[in-house]
Formats: sequence, C-alpha cells, structure tokens
Amino acid sequence: MSTLAPHFRTVMVNSLPLEVLEHIFSDITSDKDRNSISLVCKSWYEAERCCRKSVFIGNCYAVSPSILIRRFPDLRSVTIKGKPHFADFDLVPEGWGAYFYPWAVSMAKAYPFLEEIRLKRMVVCDESLELISKSFKNFRVLVLQSCEGFTTDGLAAIAANCRNLRQLDLGESEVEDLSGHWLSHFPDSCTSLVSLNIACLASEVSFSALERLVARSPHLRTLRLNRAVSIEKLPKLLRHASKLVEFGTGSYSADMQADVSEVFVNVSQAFSGCNQLKGLSGFWDAVPAYFPTIYPVHSKLTSLNLSYATIQIPDLGKLIGNCLNLQRLWVLDYIEDSGLEEIANTCKELQELRVFPSDPFAPGPNVSLTEQGLVAVSMGCPKLQSVLYFCRQMTNDALVTIARNRPHMIRFRLCIIEPRTPDYLTLEPLDTGFGAIVQHCKELRRLSLSGLLTDRVFEYIGVHAKKLEMLSLAFAGDSDLGLHYVLSGCESLRKLEIRDCPFGDEALLANAAKLETMRSLWMSNCSVSFEACKLLAQKLPGLNVEVIDERGHPDTRPESCPVEKLYIYRTVSGRRFDTPGFVWIIDEDAALTPYSNGNCSLASS
Amino acid sequence: MAIVKPEMKSYIWLETADGSIQEVEEEVAMFCPVICRELLQNGKGSSKNCAISLPERVNPANLELILEFCRFHQVPGRSNKERKKHDEKFVRLDTKTLCDLASAADSLQLRPVVDLTSRALARVIEGKTPEEIRETFHLPDDLTEEEKLEPLRNMTDDPRIRLLNRLYARKRKELYDRKKLKNVDAEEEPRVDERSVDDLLSFINSGDQDSKGVRVTKNKKKSRGRKEQARNLSSNNEAGNYNKESNCHTSGCLNGDTNNGSSPSRNSKLQNSPSAMFSSKLDLDDFDIDDELDPARKEEIDREVEDFARRLDSVWPERIQQILSLGQETRRLRPISMNGNGSMKRCTAGVDRG
Repeated sequence: MSTLAPHFRTVMVNSLPLEVLEHIFSDITSDKDRNSISLVCKSWYEAERCCRKSVFIGNCYAVSPSILIRRFPDLRSVTIKGKPHFADFDLVPEGWGAYFYPWAVSMAKAYPFLEEIRLKRMVVCDESLELISKSFKNFRVLVLQSCEGFTTDGLAAIAANCRNLRQLDLGESEVEDLSGHWLSHFPDSCTSLVSLNIACLASEVSFSALERLVARSPHLRTLRLNRAVSIEKLPKLLRHASKLVEFGTGSYSADMQADVSEVFVNVSQAFSGCNQLKGLSGFWDAVPAYFPTIYPVHSKLTSLNLSYATIQIPDLGKLIGNCLNLQRLWVLDYIEDSGLEEIANTCKELQELRVFPSDPFAPGPNVSLTEQGLVAVSMGCPKLQSVLYFCRQMTNDALVTIARNRPHMIRFRLCIIEPRTPDYLTLEPLDTGFGAIVQHCKELRRLSLSGLLTDRVFEYIGVHAKKLEMLSLAFAGDSDLGLHYVLSGCESLRKLEIRDCPFGDEALLANAAKLETMRSLWMSNCSVSFEACKLLAQKLPGLNVEVIDERGHPDTRPESCPVEKLYIYRTVSGRRFDTPGFVWIIDEDAALTPYSNGNCSLASS
Repeated sequence: MAIVKPEMKSYIWLETADGSIQEVEEEVAMFCPVICRELLQNGKGSSKNCAISLPERVNPANLELILEFCRFHQVPGRSNKERKKHDEKFVRLDTKTLCDLASAADSLQLRPVVDLTSRALARVIEGKTPEEIRETFHLPDDLTEEEKLEPLRNMTDDPRIRLLNRLYARKRKELYDRKKLKNVDAEEEPRVDERSVDDLLSFINSGDQDSKGVRVTKNKKKSRGRKEQARNLSSNNEAGNYNKESNCHTSGCLNGDTNNGSSPSRNSKLQNSPSAMFSSKLDLDDFDIDDELDPARKEEIDREVEDFARRLDSVWPERIQQILSLGQETRRLRPISMNGNGSMKRCTAGVDRG
C-alpha cells in the first residue's frame, strides 16, 4: 500500500488505487462477472487481466495458447473443453483434434505457478502429463473428464512428480492400462491427496499400493475405485478413510472364495465408520444381498449413482426408499415406474434424476418404465430441476403435466429410444408436450428433444425458451423453418447440436449472424450444402467452418451436395492447423486448405 | 508530547490535504498504521502546528468515517458479533463513498477498512453488465469494438426486423423471379436431393424426409459404456457443473485478435442492393415466402406483412436508411450482423434495443 508522501507510487485507476481495485476483483470469481469487468473500460480490462487467476475455455479452438498467455499473465487454474458433445455418441471421428499438448507446452513456459488443470473431451498424451508433472511446482489438481490418448505411464509421472497433488480425477477417460503399478509411484511423502477417481481404469491397480496411499492421505474426501476392486477389499480402505464424503465402490460382489456373511459384516462396519459419507457410486455387478451394507449411511446420502448396478425392483426400491435426503439419483431403468413412484413419495429433496436404459437395443420394452414414472417424480419431488430420462413411450399429456408441476426445471433431457416415436395414445407428434415444457419452465437452460416432432415444436421453443443455452436435436422437424425458429428466437443459445434433421442452407444462412453469438453449432447428417458452408465462412470470418466428411474432398461432389458433418464455432485464433484428412476448414476466401496430417502444431497467433 | 486533557485522554492533530486541521483522540487515531508511524517515529501530531499531514486521498468526509470505524473498534470489550454487525452497517454506503473511503483507507494503510469496502464494492459489481458497471462507477466507455468482441445481440429477435426481412425477401424474390423468366437456362436438371428453393420454402411440401432414410446411430459399445447406448442424444455422464458453462471466453475482451479479418471494406458494404452481395445461386430469402404456398396461406402472410409494414410506419428502405445513418454516426459500432437478405450492416446498440 502507499505511504504518506509519494502518492505517485500508487497507480490510480479512475480514482481507485490499482491495488484496491485488484483487491476488489479478487473477491469476484465467477467467469461471467470477470468477463463483465474486463469489458467495462480499458483500465479495468488491464487491471482485471493481470490479476485473473482462473480461466474457463469452453472450446479449445476458440482461442490459442499464445492469446491466452498474452492476455492473462498469471493464471493458476485453467479449464479447457475440446471435442463437441456429440463425440460422446461416436459422431466425431477419431483424430478430429482437441490436442492438449500445445497447451501443455505453452503453459509450462508461461505459468510456472499453475496449480489446476481441468480438461474435458481432449486428447492428452503421456508427454503432456509428464510435462505437467515436471513444470508446475505447485500443481494440485488434475481432472481429465472423458479424455483419451494417455496411458498409465503418464499417470505414473503425475504420481511421482507432483509433490502436492490434491486431486486426480480420471473422469470417464479412456486410459491405456500398461501397468497397475503406476499408483506405487506416489512417493511415501505424498500425503496431500483429497480426491482420487480411478473408476474408469479397466484393469487392476496394485491394491497394496492403493491401500498404503489411502492410509497416508488424511485429507482424502473423495475416493472412486474401479471395477477391479471387489467388495471384500473395501473395509481395508474405508478403515483408513473414515472422513470420506464421496465414495465409489468397485465391483459390489465378492470373490468366489469369500465368506459372504463375513464380507457383509465387515463392509457394514466399515460404512458405519464413515459418518460423513454423502455420495456413493460404483456398484458394478451389484448383488442385492450386499445392499444392506449401505444402510448405516443411506439416510444421509445426498448423491447416489446406481447406473452400473443391474439390480432390480424390489431390492432397488428398498435401497433407495430410505435415502430420504437424496438430491441426486442416477439409476438404470430397472427402477421402473413403481420404483419412481416410491421415490416420489420419499425423496423430497430430489433435484436431479437420471434414468439410463438397461438395454437400449432391445426391440421392445424390457422393463416397465414409462412416462408415468417421470410424471410421478415430477409431482412428488418439489425441488426437481434436472432430468435425463430414457424411455420408450411418451405422451403430450405427460409432458404437459411435468411442465406444469415443475416450472423451475433447468435441464430437461428426454430420450425416447426409438426415433420419431409419436404420442402413443394419440399418435400425434410431441410438439405440444415439449411446447409446454418451454412455456412453463422459463428458466430452462438445457433441453434435449426426442420423439416425433414437427416444425411446430421449434416455433414454441423459439418463442418461449429465452434462457435456453443448449439444445440437442435428433430426427426432428420437417423443414428449415424449424431451424430458423430456434436460431432466431433463442436469445441465450450457446450450443446447438443437431443430427439427422431435415435442416438445410436457408435457415442457416438467414441466421448466420446468430452463429457469432454462440459457442458452437454441430450438424450431422442434415442437408447443409458445401456451398452454404463456403458462403458462411466467407461472410463470417469470426467463425471456423469445419466440414467433416469421410467421403473425401468436398470438391469431388457437387457443391449442392450436403456435407456429412458440420461444426461451426466462433474463434479469435483463426483456423487451426492440426486437422486430420477428413476435416476441411473453409477459409475466408473460400479456398479450401486441407491439412492432411495430425500435426500438433500450435494454431498461429 | 501529546497534550493530556483532564479526562486523561490524549489528543493529536491531523491535517487533511485541504488544510483543515482537527483534533482526534490519540487512541483512536493510532489505529491507523500511517498515523501511528508519524506520531511515534517522526514525533508529529502533538500540536496544531505540527499536525500530521494525511495523504492526499484523505478528506474530512472520509476521515470522519475512518475515525468512526477506529473509534468503534479500538474499544477492547466488544464481541466479534458486535464488531461484525457494526461493520455490516458501516459499509452501507453509496458506491462513490465506498470508493472514496477505500482509497483513503488504503493510503492510511488501514487494512480492515480496505477489506470491508473492497468486499462491499465487489458485491456492487457482481451481477451487473459492463454497461451498468460503467454507469455506477462513472467510467469511460473507451474500449474499441475489436477489443470488446462482444457477443452479438441477435438482430433478428426484433420482430420488426423479422418482418422487415420478410418484406425484403419478398421483394427480392420478385426480382429473382423476373430474372429467372428472362434467363431460360437458369436451372439445369432438377437437383436430385430436392433442395430446390421452392421446396424448401414451402410449408405444405416440406421436402421428402424419408428420402434421407432413417439413420441408425452408430453404436460401438466401448469400455466407456454409458455414452453410446441410445440412438438418441443426451450424454448421461456429464458432470453436472453447469456453472462452468456460463462463459465462453471468446465473448470476453481479447485484444489484438489475430483472426479478425474485419476488412475496412465492410463499412462500405452498407448499401441499398444487398442482393448484389451474394453472388451465389442460393436464394437467401426468408423461407416462409413462397409462391407454391396455397393461396389462402399466402394471402394470410401477405396481409400480415402489409399490416406490419403499415404499423412500422415506414417502408423498409427508409428503415434501413435510418439504421445506416445511426450506424455511421456513432463512434462505437456493434460488430457485423447479417439480416435475412444477406446484407451486411453495422448496427448500433440503439438499434439492437429498438
């Protein structure tokens, strides 16, 4: 702070000392507010960028590492998302991009004090992990959500070199398991672990190493094991981790030789020692006989993920029925309508429900889960705001009821498994039902549609869904009118992903300007012509227009021919140069410059 | 030496930059490190003549507030709860006063007041738009458009603009049709994929969707398991942290963006014949105008459009002119927006809201 005499030592920013301004900013951490601050005026922009500690990059190609570093000289935490969401459905071909390595290299040089890296849907190689482990002395948090490209060797480097590692979360990444011994690379001196999630690892980790690690981690609050850890091993771990808040079991059935009753007793006892446990997950191969082991903790549970547990009613119902404080429930459709009705009666704190299909490829319903279950929950759970529901039938009436019951819904994703399924009672499209959802749920931020849908549903969405940020469509609509309604009406739209819909050039071109207000647009198997893509690229240089087409160069087909896949996103770093052979990025001058190798070169800045 | 008054309290003298001098209880004033130092190290403040000169940013008004704070807190017996309550009330000030106070406290190195006021100011800033923040703090709007790279307001969410688009699109279509009549070999064979303009624009004949075939989702069962199960969408394994999605950084202010191919010629593209802009054979008409429509529906649309045009009180070219002239006047222009007819125009914030 300044001293008496020389006030010229203090840099004043519009009548506030810079230090004070930075002090004010340090108390403002939401990305939205930080962005607002940076847009106020030049001096605030400068002050803000110098003291910004944490950055979220929703699309790794929207900005380049050098731009990031130039603007923010002192970051401690970086979050980057790579591939578009539809990559989860195998719609983004292998090799498309989202390489983390260039970021790792740049940040290693620029941010020696970086502490946290969180990645989603990015390709991370072992070299990146090694670089991270050696470049950042204070590194604490590594989250790799749905990433791929690395092996357990990379993990070994992280374990060995990150002295103060607090969180290692492998999300649902695809890891090449070279050896289960990577865990042993955590030095004995490492006692800082707070969160460890290795649930995605396919093969066994060295259990003794794991046990020792847990034993010397007094701050451990989250532990998610992989399937390879069978139930009888749990007490050994839980004994050392009694302060756990989140726990993911491995396979919830015992080895052949185990004495069932002994296991039962030990595990129950172990759980009773964990009096802070709030969340449970895992439960592969769950055997109902072992469920009562959870009873010591289940009334305190706020989060329960049973989406890998193939148990059925009534055991399933019994288990969940006593979880009175449940706020989040992920479960397979074995829960059936009856189970959901029970939940509606007992889980009054429920905020988020996800019901996954146990057998999506079955030709007909294999369980008795219908729209009734969801309606029941919507009626019984006053705090319900986030829904993901896979089912095989739906009616407009049900949707209208749900909408009326839960006007505070924020996320609503309905997946009727068979495309274009109409209202099974009236055989009408589900336009009215979804229309009611957007009309009543004024705070809706995310919506996924399914079933038989005409352009009318998009009219409703365009008119009502003013807070909608993300919309996912498949096999819906009749014409460009549908797309036009969405693009012209949804003011808050940031991400739009479409597959197999009859949307073409007209709506896209008429609403081209809208694309610059969004993060990204994905369209696959629609009717957008290559010509329209070129036009868009020409007229909106702030966008990267990527044509993803595995049939070969677009010029080998007529211009009016629809492209296979289209990914459009706004960017300030220009086109990228790490595209594979099947991705064409259209330049402003509409010259096509495909780069046919997967070079990890930095996008130019 | 400080003058000892009968009440056994010592007083010291403080002088603010405007020359006014006041007497303050020593124990209160000593709460400020700077004053403390001046008194103890430099021996100042004992009399009116050698009053402690306070930093420039301290004026009588904020000094009073500061002293009030010090006076309260230097009393030893108070509980934490009391102190907290006092502080909460203390910072219920208008923004200007808060800034002023923060600045003064900073110069006096009075950390607690700096912290309090900073936190209060942070609450003032949170949730506001840049515009609102500017207003509140009386800050200049001096970032250039490039620097702002603000997310574009969607031009077409203004219903008048939409109707204008329709009007304009109709006129364009008339022109196009007239041209077509002249040009006999305008279209070669019909496009195989039935994406001719007419089909796309028609309500009734919405194109043959079945010709595209029912696409079955590719569903490789991977060890990832969850994601590929349904033919429909929806990832079922996303971390639910939607707070993170509140911002895309491209919307933030990134100066010196390298990609900005904003050619200066864009400005000059504000013209009256946007149809010249698009040399492609694609018709960019607003899709709901079509001569193939059944006459009743067409009439309905026509009526709606004419009616709206009347209500708009101006025919579209005048409106465009208005927009253009507004655009040229203002120094800070919003980035490009493209309306349905494909013309590029710069529109101001005023137009966005209008």
